[in-house]
Amino acid sequence: MFEPKRSTIVVALSLALFLPERGVSAQLVSRLQAGAISSTSAGLVPSSAFSLTPDVRYDGHALKLAARGSAWLNGNAFQLADADASGTWTSPIVHHLGAQLIASADRTYYDAVNQNEQIEARARVHLVFSQQGGLWLESGVARPWRVAVVSSVDVAGAGAWAQVGGATLTGSYTNFAFTRLASATDSTGTVQSCTSQTDNSSCLRQSHFSDVQGSVHWEKSFVELNAQTGYRFGNASDVTPDSRRWASASAVIWFASDAALVVGGGRQPSNPARGLPARNYANLGVMFAAWPSPTAGAVPIEARASAISKFDIAEAGRSLERLQVHIAGVQTVEVMGDFTDWQPVEMVQRGRDLWEALLPIGSGVHQLNVRVDGGRWLPPPGTPTMRDGFNGEVGVLVMQQ
Amino acid sequence: MNARVRRGLAAFAALALTAPALVAQGPDPLARLDSSTRALVLALEDSARAEGLPAEAVLSKAQEGVAKHAPMAAIARAVRTVFLSYREARATLGAKADRTELSAGAAALQAGIPTTALSDLRASGHGKSIAVPLVVLADLVTRGVPRDVASHTILQLWTAGAGDADLLDLPKAVGQDILSGAAPGDALLNRARTIPLRLPPGKVPE
Repeated sequence: MFEPKRSTIVVALSLALFLPERGVSAQLVSRLQAGAISSTSAGLVPSSAFSLTPDVRYDGHALKLAARGSAWLNGNAFQLADADASGTWTSPIVHHLGAQLIASADRTYYDAVNQNEQIEARARVHLVFSQQGGLWLESGVARPWRVAVVSSVDVAGAGAWAQVGGATLTGSYTNFAFTRLASATDSTGTVQSCTSQTDNSSCLRQSHFSDVQGSVHWEKSFVELNAQTGYRFGNASDVTPDSRRWASASAVIWFASDAALVVGGGRQPSNPARGLPARNYANLGVMFAAWPSPTAGAVPIEARASAISKFDIAEAGRSLERLQVHIAGVQTVEVMGDFTDWQPVEMVQRGRDLWEALLPIGSGVHQLNVRVDGGRWLPPPGTPTMRDGFNGEVGVLVMQQ
Repeated sequence: MNARVRRGLAAFAALALTAPALVAQGPDPLARLDSSTRALVLALEDSARAEGLPAEAVLSKAQEGVAKHAPMAAIARAVRTVFLSYREARATLGAKADRTELSAGAAALQAGIPTTALSDLRASGHGKSIAVPLVVLADLVTRGVPRDVASHTILQLWTAGAGDADLLDLPKAVGQDILSGAAPGDALLNRARTIPLRLPPGKVPE
C-alpha cells in the first residue's frame, strides 16, 4: 500500500506549483460519435448496441473540463451507458516542473448487472524536458459507488513519455490497494488470509495489484492511431487469469475537416475494485466535430499557446514589426504566418516571460499562428480569429499603412 | 583557344548567369504537394493572376496547409475556397477595392458572411476602408454569433461611426462573455451597446 506520507508530499508539491491563472483564452470543443459497440465477457451473453456519444470539452488556460456520455440503444429504448466527467487543473511548467490536480466521476456500464460509478481524485507532479519527453509521479484515491464490498482505493503510480518522430510513447506503472469483503475460505475450503474476521463466512482482506501499461499515439495527416497494452502484477486471489494481459487499438480517420471514421477494439482487463469483469470489445462509428476539434493531446502535460497571457505587435523601424509573446515557464515559442511563407520562426527569449521576434510584415490583412513547446498552432490571444480550413484557427492582423 | 577551353568557358558563363537566379528562387514552396494538388494550386494561381486577384493568397494557403501537415484533399479544398472567395469579394466590393479590403472581404466570405453584408458595409463606408469591420465580422461568426446578428450589428456600429479600435475590442470581449455562459448573439448585442455611448450625440444607432 502507498504510504500516506508520500502521497501527502506529492499533493503538497502539486499545490505549491500552482500560480494564479492569467488572462482568459480558451476554447470549447464538442463532438458526437455515433456507431455500434459490441462486447463479450466470460460467463455473460455477448451484447451489441447502437451508441450515441456526445463529448464536450472546455480547454482553458489552466483548467480543462470534459464530459462525455454514451447512450445505448438496446431494443427500442435508449439508456445511459458509460459516462464520465473530469476536471484537470494544470500549473505552468516552472524549471521543468509542472503539476496537475485531476478530479473525475465516471459510470461504467457493461450490462444490467455489471454497472457502477466511481469518483476519483489524483495529483501528479511532472518533470518535463522541452515538451519532448517527461516523467510523472502520481497519487490519489478512488471511491467506487454501489460496490458495497470494497473500501476506497489508494492509487499510486509513475510514468514516462517521449515523443519520437510523429509518435508519442507512454509507459506507466500504477498500483491499486484497497480493502474488500471476501469469503473466509476459497472454493476448496482452504482458509484465506484476512486482515480481520467479520463473521464465520467472510472477512476483510487487503487486496492490491499493479498495472504496467504501454501506449503509442501516432498521427499524421488525416489518420490518428492509438494502441495500448498492459500486464497486471498481483497474486491469484486479486488478479484473474483473464486479466493478466490485455491490448487494444483504435483508429480515427478524418474524411472531412469535421467528420471522421472511428474504429477500435481489443481487450479490457477486469476491475476488481469495482467488480467489473474483463471483456473484449469492438466499436465502429462516425465522429462529427461540431467545432474545430483538435483531438485531445497524447502528451500527458502540454504547454499550450492558450497559456500566453499577452500578445503585442509594434513597429520596430521602417520595415520591421516587433512581435511579443508573454508566457513563462516554456522552452520554445514559435510564430508563423503568411508573412513568413508559413515557415516557423523561433522567437527569442528576452525576459522571464517575454519572447520576441522582429519580422517584416507589410500593410494589409495577415494571418498567423503561434505555438509553445512544439504544441499545436493556435491564434495568438487578443487577435481576431477565423477558421483556417484545416480544422484549426488563425489569428488575423490588420496592418494599417 | 581550343574547342575544349571554349566549351568550358561557355559552360562556366552559363552557370555564372543562371546560378544567382536559381539561388534566388529558393526551394520549391510546393515541393511537398502531390502532383494533382500542386497542379491545382498552380492553375488557381494563374487564374488569380489573370483576373487581377492576389495570386500569393492561393500560394500562401497551400503553404499553410503544408506547414500544418494537412491532408492533400483539405489543401485542395482550402485553396479553391480562397480563390473563389477572393473572386467573390472582388465582384462584391468592386474593382476599386484595395488588397487589404479584398483580403478582409475574402476572410468574411470564408466565414460564411453573405455578400449583401459586404456590399452594405461598402455602401455605408463613406470612403473609409472596411477591412476592420469585415475581419471582426469573420471573427464573430467563427465564435458562433449568428451571421445575421453579426452582420446587422457591425453594420449598425459602422454606420454610427464606430472606429476600428472599438470594433477590434469586440471579439475578445464577446469571447469572454461566451466563455462565461452567454449566448454568442446576446454577448455581441450586449457588448455592442457599450460602444455607441462613446460616439458623438446623434451618432447613436437605434
